[in-house]
Amino acid sequence: MLEALLRRGSVGVFLAILVGFAVAAPNFLSVGNLANVFSQSAILGVLAFGLTCVIIGGGSNVVAGGLDLSLAANLGLCAAVFSRLNNVGLALWLTVSLTLACGVAVGLVNGLAVVLLRLPPLLATLASMNVLAGLELVLTENTVVSTDSPLLDLLSGGAWLGVPALAWVLLVTAGLLTLLIQHSPYGLRLHAVGEYPQAAEAAGLRNARYVLSSYLLSGLCAAVAALCSAAFFSGSTTGSGDMLLSVVAIAFLGVVFSRRLVASIPGTLFAALLIGFLINGFQLLNVSSFWVNGVQGVLILLVVAASSALSRGGHP
Amino acid sequence: MPALHLQHVHKRFGATLALDGASLKVERGTVHGLVGENGAGKSTLIKILAGIHTADAGQVSIDGQSYDRLSPRQVDALGVQFIHQERLLPASFTVGEALFFGHELRRGPFVDRRRQQREAQRLLADYFDLQFPAGALVSELNSAERQVLQITRALIRQPKILVFDEPSVALVKREVDQLLRIVRRLRDQGLSILYISHYLQEIDSVCDEVTVLRNGRDVAVVEPRHTSSAEIARLMVNREVQEMYPKARVALGEPLLQVKSLSLARRYRHIDLQVRRGEIVGLTGLVGSGAKELIKTLFGIEQADSGSVHLQGRLLRLRSPGQAIAAGIALVPEERRSQGIAPVLSVLENLTLAGLGRFSRWGLLSRATEQVETARLIDELAIKAPGPHAAVSQLSGGNQQKVALGKWLSRRSAVYLLDEPCVGVDVGAKVEIYRLIGRLVQEGAAVLVLSSDLPELLGISDRILVLHRGEIAGEFHAGEADSDQLLACATGAVPAAAVRAREVEHA
Repeated sequence: MLEALLRRGSVGVFLAILVGFAVAAPNFLSVGNLANVFSQSAILGVLAFGLTCVIIGGGSNVVAGGLDLSLAANLGLCAAVFSRLNNVGLALWLTVSLTLACGVAVGLVNGLAVVLLRLPPLLATLASMNVLAGLELVLTENTVVSTDSPLLDLLSGGAWLGVPALAWVLLVTAGLLTLLIQHSPYGLRLHAVGEYPQAAEAAGLRNARYVLSSYLLSGLCAAVAALCSAAFFSGSTTGSGDMLLSVVAIAFLGVVFSRRLVASIPGTLFAALLIGFLINGFQLLNVSSFWVNGVQGVLILLVVAASSALSRGGHP
Repeated sequence: MPALHLQHVHKRFGATLALDGASLKVERGTVHGLVGENGAGKSTLIKILAGIHTADAGQVSIDGQSYDRLSPRQVDALGVQFIHQERLLPASFTVGEALFFGHELRRGPFVDRRRQQREAQRLLADYFDLQFPAGALVSELNSAERQVLQITRALIRQPKILVFDEPSVALVKREVDQLLRIVRRLRDQGLSILYISHYLQEIDSVCDEVTVLRNGRDVAVVEPRHTSSAEIARLMVNREVQEMYPKARVALGEPLLQVKSLSLARRYRHIDLQVRRGEIVGLTGLVGSGAKELIKTLFGIEQADSGSVHLQGRLLRLRSPGQAIAAGIALVPEERRSQGIAPVLSVLENLTLAGLGRFSRWGLLSRATEQVETARLIDELAIKAPGPHAAVSQLSGGNQQKVALGKWLSRRSAVYLLDEPCVGVDVGAKVEIYRLIGRLVQEGAAVLVLSSDLPELLGISDRILVLHRGEIAGEFHAGEADSDQLLACATGAVPAAAVRAREVEHA
């Protein structure tokens, strides 16, 4: 009952928002504006994909389950690493590889802390978030490090089939991760490990490996998002940590867009776009962007409250 | 050559000897039962077979091949599958995904959901004549259907040996019958089956042979065809009631606690009981009998669907433990460490915790009154503690339990619910706890004791109620019953009707 209401209600809300903005803001449904929303959602969306992987592998319990609070800080560090290395004059492929490696390494540390040291993900990633923010400060001395690269130009200005490059990044990442998480045996097992660890163990799975791998994916997503962010801002900027709340909101909001009410990549994509449309619509209507934060906070409260009500009711 | 042969298995956990040379032999193509009381070593034996524990001594032979140690993967590869008591299936999975995860059907690098779905429907229809709508989720199935899924999941691996570990605990009668039919059919198809259950009725109807485990040793192998369930129950218990139950003579007064037709869906049905002033009523039942839930309901932790509870003639609406306490009901829970005491607080603080109102004046605690009362309780209960300010976590299990009981003594309740009061307590402390329970009734309280220690119940109670699958299956006067009868009743070896006929009338 509650489940059906949540599923239908969430899609209804999504549509109502679209229709509402379409009526109120004439430009809202123009092709240019839609492309704009997709591009602007890329950074948050890709980060939220990473968090989604971790939530699937660690379980959706907000306190004890999988969680990666270091994602936004990881993005900040990766963007700084990219900008510094690029400014030093390293080859582009090497710069990109090292940036990706940096993101994955952070994921590895998080994963090991959770799997080997058995720290609660909430605390482990909270700690690494602070370490990463510190490292970023060391690299950037708390200033904007601008940089210039053909890759960034392509990402920020390029387009194919009329769709901007950042939107492609969002869609292609979503497509690849959907294949991996929703359709491969690995993904199915990751779901089992997160939802019912004892069952996964009884099925002969090595749970620790799956949990660890989800943090590696999360780190990789942070690095990809860092490239998008560097393209968007032409270098690394300060204050990337502010994105954390939005990322968490999107990943948990995504739960209500799946039939089974579990975290999923397509669900997260929907949620990222929903938030993107909200921000965009408010801008078109000249509503202060401060309101968006308030709306996000309310969404998190609603989703977390609803999902914990569900877990109290349904599970055997 | 037997399909499965465990020989002289020993296993020690710290100070306790869990298995003391237990053997078990399952012949090919038979259903072999394994029975024993709680703590007899059944689960340790199964965990050794599953490769979860390693035996200290002894060996496991599967299909004539001997192994000193086994890993879970090895066991799987050897064709041994386990059907556990819990349904180990993720709730958000479809039936197809739940059947195949870990060994998915693939198309290229991806899971072939459509084929899994088709195969699942085919297998379930073939084996069990069951049909699910396409895309049904595990969360939408009832526990019997999940059990069937679990069995099918094991069968997909084409096992030679199937181990059922308490498979019927969460099932109702009709579902159990279906389960037993399935077990028989699997045997007829040539599988060797090890069937572990508390329920002797099931053992009786499905097993070709039964191994009885007691104190970590196999004490008998019998054929249920030629052996009565009561005889099997006697082999399981075989204990003498020691002279350790001090019994105070107390004249019974008016009924304090009256329960009428109390029901809670899938837990218990139509429970009628009353406990009179000065009476100790014992309550027992196997896991899943509903006895635990009944106690929780009487303390307001769970809410019954229908029926009524009267205390001293007054109808109670129990919605929370707070209301139960206010009405004069006390509970000493089994989970001593997490629920009964506050381990880091001192003996004094624990003892006065439940009745702080009596020790405070104008909202502040009166240290002096607390000290006096605590000293009195420590003395009376013979609590062995370094002093009233020692943390309770430093005390032995028995003394912790005395504190948990003493907590309620400091405020006089009308009805005491005791949940396994002597679990994990040494013999000496047990006697003192029994004496304490006796004192509660001498002072005019009514006591309901839930225990799975049958000699204990027989020793301390006036009457004993036995629950079986959510219903009161028998009522005994303590002086006129023995452990065998109680166990036979609790395991369903004796049909409820027969016991009811023998039931002793009382005013």
